[in-house]
Amino acid sequence: MEYTLTRIDTDGPRYPQEQREPARDPMEDQMHRSIFLGKLEDMLKGTVNWGRKNSIWPYNFGLSCCYVEMATAFTPTHDLARFGSEVIRASPRQADVIVIAGTCFQKMAPVVQRLYEQMLEPKWVISMGSCANSGGMYDIYSVVQGVDKFLPVDVYIPGCPPRPEAFLQGLMLLQDAIGKERRPLSWVVGDQGVYKANMPSQRDKHREERMAVTKLRTPDSV
Amino acid sequence: MSADGNAQNADKGTSHEIVRELFARFGESPFVAQSTVDRMPTLWVEQSRIGEVLRYLKNTIARPYKMLYDLTAVDERLRKNRFGLPPSDFTIVYQLLSIERNSDIRLKVALTGDYPSIPSIVGIYQNANWYEREVWDLFGITFNGHPNLQRIMLPRTWQGHPLRKEYPARATEFDPFALTVAKQDMEQEALRFNPEEWGMKRGTAEEDFMFLNLGPNHPSAHGAFRLVLQLDGEEIVDCVPDIGYHHRGAEKMGERQSWHTYIPYTDRIDYLGGVMNNLPYILAVEKLAGIQVPDRVKTIRVMLCEFFRITSHLLYYGTYCQDVGAMSPVFFMFVDRQKAYDVIEAITGFRMHPAWFRIGGVAHDLPQGWDRLVRDFVEYLPKRLDEYQKAALENSILKMRSRGVAKYNTADALEWGVTGAGLRATGSDYDLRKARPYSGYENFDFEVPTATGGDVYDRCVVRVEEMRQSIRIIKQCLENMPAGPYKADHPLTCPPPKERTLQDIETLITHFLGVSWGPVMPAGESSQMIEATKGINSYYLTSDGSTMSYRTHIRTPSFAHLQQIPSVIKGSMIPDLIAYIASIDFVMADVDR
Repeated sequence: MEYTLTRIDTDGPRYPQEQREPARDPMEDQMHRSIFLGKLEDMLKGTVNWGRKNSIWPYNFGLSCCYVEMATAFTPTHDLARFGSEVIRASPRQADVIVIAGTCFQKMAPVVQRLYEQMLEPKWVISMGSCANSGGMYDIYSVVQGVDKFLPVDVYIPGCPPRPEAFLQGLMLLQDAIGKERRPLSWVVGDQGVYKANMPSQRDKHREERMAVTKLRTPDSV
Repeated sequence: MSADGNAQNADKGTSHEIVRELFARFGESPFVAQSTVDRMPTLWVEQSRIGEVLRYLKNTIARPYKMLYDLTAVDERLRKNRFGLPPSDFTIVYQLLSIERNSDIRLKVALTGDYPSIPSIVGIYQNANWYEREVWDLFGITFNGHPNLQRIMLPRTWQGHPLRKEYPARATEFDPFALTVAKQDMEQEALRFNPEEWGMKRGTAEEDFMFLNLGPNHPSAHGAFRLVLQLDGEEIVDCVPDIGYHHRGAEKMGERQSWHTYIPYTDRIDYLGGVMNNLPYILAVEKLAGIQVPDRVKTIRVMLCEFFRITSHLLYYGTYCQDVGAMSPVFFMFVDRQKAYDVIEAITGFRMHPAWFRIGGVAHDLPQGWDRLVRDFVEYLPKRLDEYQKAALENSILKMRSRGVAKYNTADALEWGVTGAGLRATGSDYDLRKARPYSGYENFDFEVPTATGGDVYDRCVVRVEEMRQSIRIIKQCLENMPAGPYKADHPLTCPPPKERTLQDIETLITHFLGVSWGPVMPAGESSQMIEATKGINSYYLTSDGSTMSYRTHIRTPSFAHLQQIPSVIKGSMIPDLIAYIASIDFVMADVDR
């Protein structure tokens, strides 16, 4: 699997302050050097990732309409607790993921950036809804055309707003990605870059299946 | 077409009672009457006399106009169809509301020059404060004598005034947005609160005040809303609400979308109101076009609107309980919202923003089997509401927490432009569905719930009762749904009726133009007020005879409600503020647009 290595670049003139380069899975090299240590590290990382991906605590942060659908996902019908993510944190310092649920405005962008900086590593970003993904239908003077202009986004959820089910799927995709991450086990152990797997595009993955649909339900009956 | 409260039979609107009264007092010379399709009395007033006229209307006249309902501006420099109106580069529009008369008046002042100025009216109507700041921010018109004429929607570091005609609309017409480290520092610095600017002291001889930032992101602020509190211990000495973190430029958007393609943008104004937002816009456009819609359309619209009133009020109810300390109700209420969304989705195909109303009708006919779903829902919800009554509203802790907190009376409410449940909780029974029925509300049997305390608790009680009334209305829709078409047979209906197309080349061309460029609305001005989920919402549209609006102004209730916060909460504790914010029922998109 292809990986991307991300390193923090504190001298970068603009956000996100990081440098990215394509990379191979660092575990492969380790395996070739020492089977025993490689296996050990593989197991350790697997355990840590397993813990991380099943307890992604979201930051209580919402901008607009999408937040209502995100909040709906927390309630009994959708029950986010099944995925270990029901623990909403009111402080960014205790949160693992920030869901940009709604339109990101130029007036709000510096505030969002500050909140993101206050989160502790490891941290992830989900961009929820068309506005956060690309500005969506708001190609207008006050709106940032996609929150990825300054935040490193891990998962994009399409929709205006996306249904709560779509949010759940987005979260599960993030869990998959976290399961394949290679992060340093400690700030004093090993290489300090973050290796993230290049996850396949869902559009490509489902294209054939979607194109095969020829019969659509009519809107004439419930 | 529904009867407008101001319906009169005069052409120029000079036969309105209020116009005659003004002429009798000031003579005819300071005024120019204008006829508008909404038949609201509309007068152009000489700039030097406007203060005097407003003061007379608010304080002296019998059955006065106590509420400054709206204040906005129009950039007239590119407008072609002006029908002999006084020459003007920028027009300031004041709209006043009198509850006693159940009537409005629109006053306009013509200004000339590129960056004109006009005296502020904050001394007459207190709530003009934010409206004037907004006009300054978006048009660059100066209000002399305004206490603190600052940007309100856009960041302080912003250059230009977006609603001026020369200002580009699209973000993609500017350089791509980039957040540099330098910009981040500058913007953060610009957000720093400076008490002196707002006439606040940093302390007295004995003690220092603490300034606390609540927001722009705070769990109980219900969105991107910032309040700066001046605190003496835990007591709020004063506060400054800071808005504009959710300004989506919806009004500028109206000037570039066609009449038809603007509908989805209206859904996202009060994003909990769904199709309820379509209604004032659609009704105002239909007035411009002169479309009379069939009874079935009216009834379908009413039914869907009441569904959204219920989903919005349920969310309010849940978050209200949560903010005053009851954790469980919100989970039950969201389950009920799901049930409502199941019905809405079956009918419209979407949950929150169906954009389902059309100019001259609705998007589809009701699907087969809709009645069963609606019946199930109206039988299901009342029992749940009874349970919540016991679990939440009659809970003694909740009562003690919210009774007597953040009280205001009817006079205060009118002074600050408060409408909706916030007004009705003070004893007034002003509900537009009764006072000025639109879209066939006159045919329904329902009551207007009121309360007399004017506090946090009463605002919730009124909304809960409103849900029961909404169920009553939906039941009547269910039992008396008229048969007939779901679209008006009119050339400006959009999309045009399909059976009128593909007959010959003429019908084909008309249809093609209607769906590609969109219908051309006759030049004129129109508006429609409705009783939305959060208060009175209205659209004020100016057509210049094109496929797009020349100016779209949206008056939203939440904007007025937030401006009132400091006057109500001074002297209270921080937890009271949280309870008060929960009781207002606002969403930031409805404030900043």
